[in-house]
Amino acid sequence: MTMTRNQVHSIFLSAFVLVSALITATALPTAAQDATQQDPPSYSKMAPIEQYLMDRDAEIALARSAAPDAISRDASVVVLTPHGYETAVEGKNGWVCWVGRSWLGMFDHPEFWNPKIRAADCSSPAAARSVLPYAYKRTELLLAGHSKQEVIAAMKAAIDKKELPPLEPGSISYMMSKSSYLTDSGGHNMPHVMFYESVSGEAASSVDVPNSPMMGVNYWYLSADAYPQLKSFPPLSVFLIGADKWSDGTPAPSM
Amino acid sequence: MPKTMSKTKTIQYIFLFAFMLGIALCAPQSGSAQDTKTKYPTMAPIGQYLMADKDAEIALARSAAPDAISRDADVMVLGRHGYETAVKGKNGFVCIVGRGWSAAADPDYWNPKVRVPMCVNAPAAHSYLLGIIKITELALAGQTLDQVNHAIGAAVASKELPPMAPGAMCYMMGNQGYGGDVAPHWPAHLMFFFSDTDSAIWGANLPGSPVVAVTDPLYHLTQFVIPTQKWADGTEVQATEAHNMKSH
Repeated sequence: MTMTRNQVHSIFLSAFVLVSALITATALPTAAQDATQQDPPSYSKMAPIEQYLMDRDAEIALARSAAPDAISRDASVVVLTPHGYETAVEGKNGWVCWVGRSWLGMFDHPEFWNPKIRAADCSSPAAARSVLPYAYKRTELLLAGHSKQEVIAAMKAAIDKKELPPLEPGSISYMMSKSSYLTDSGGHNMPHVMFYESVSGEAASSVDVPNSPMMGVNYWYLSADAYPQLKSFPPLSVFLIGADKWSDGTPAPSM
Repeated sequence: MPKTMSKTKTIQYIFLFAFMLGIALCAPQSGSAQDTKTKYPTMAPIGQYLMADKDAEIALARSAAPDAISRDADVMVLGRHGYETAVKGKNGFVCIVGRGWSAAADPDYWNPKVRVPMCVNAPAAHSYLLGIIKITELALAGQTLDQVNHAIGAAVASKELPPMAPGAMCYMMGNQGYGGDVAPHWPAHLMFFFSDTDSAIWGANLPGSPVVAVTDPLYHLTQFVIPTQKWADGTEVQATEAHNMKSH
């Protein structure tokens, strides 16, 4: 099975719970428009919390499936509770595996409240220290009932007070689970590796050209105009490279 | 893959990479290093390393990256004393065709047939590529692998060669060229360059990981390699690999 580039875009656009989407400035309107057309309006607000939760053991297993066993078996695992993420398994290699939910995508992503999203991720030690705190903070605030604007303001204040750390070199995530659900679009899933850089979204999207195996996207938003305060956040982009295998070693569909 | 890697590291890199990708190298693996070393013990006449057709070298260099990147890149071609800018680009990328001393396994150091296209991004052009250019100048001056390793080590230590710039990477997605007798056809891949970085931070070289890494103490360089599913022209890698293996 070969995915079209639009399907891949949609997956990473939506998916991203950790940020996966990629598109160039010119491709962005098309991809965003596609996603908007495909997404039901119900994603405009939060669903009942139960719809985002999972059986704890199943969530641990799904989280670990994000990376090859050689990485995930010794990783810490965090799971979602009604109030935020909490550590379920203490690991010993510094990696942290978890299952991202829809609200960890861009703030203006059309699937922001899609309760079906389950994005398994294993984050490197550097990413666990410098990227996951942002995800945890966002999750706690949203689950506490704060609006997106309030969450953005609180995170900005935390950044300014250095309560949230700067990005560390070596921040990378494996998202190679066969069982993730990244988006309503396309095949819903795609194995990939992501790494984080402190560069602007514009610089990131410059790698998203025809036949490029790498895509880049702004971590915070699809459109800088959606939530203007996000423009004052530290530049953070995600680069994604598709993998040819799932974490269990079986072949993946071609990008 | 800079020649500053030790011989052992270079061979490990090639076979580790091939192993992880499930690719059968075309050259006999057992003893191939020694065989090829004896095959190219000294520098060939310099003309054998040059490409007579400048346009062909430019096209080969550009084949390393998708057209949308390489068409606006600088292109450097090999002259008798080193790389020279043949095309001035506008996007910060630089495409070159590597030769044996900078882009092949050590036994192919003097192999005049090696032609490995690569396109480096702007951060790599200001860091990684400087090492390649220096290696090339030294090799063209007749310096041996050991001499080059010594010189590069000194240049890194003195900071004549800078550390890898943040974001430094390159595309090696060309399906043409020749990687040398040890590894004739490199799979399509991306490379990311870091100085003084532990390869473990990316989870590289572990079973099932799509990331290959080699740390080179001499150059204080860690290279992360991620294979791609397609060549720069958009064709599937697997089909081409199968074709390449059949043809050998």
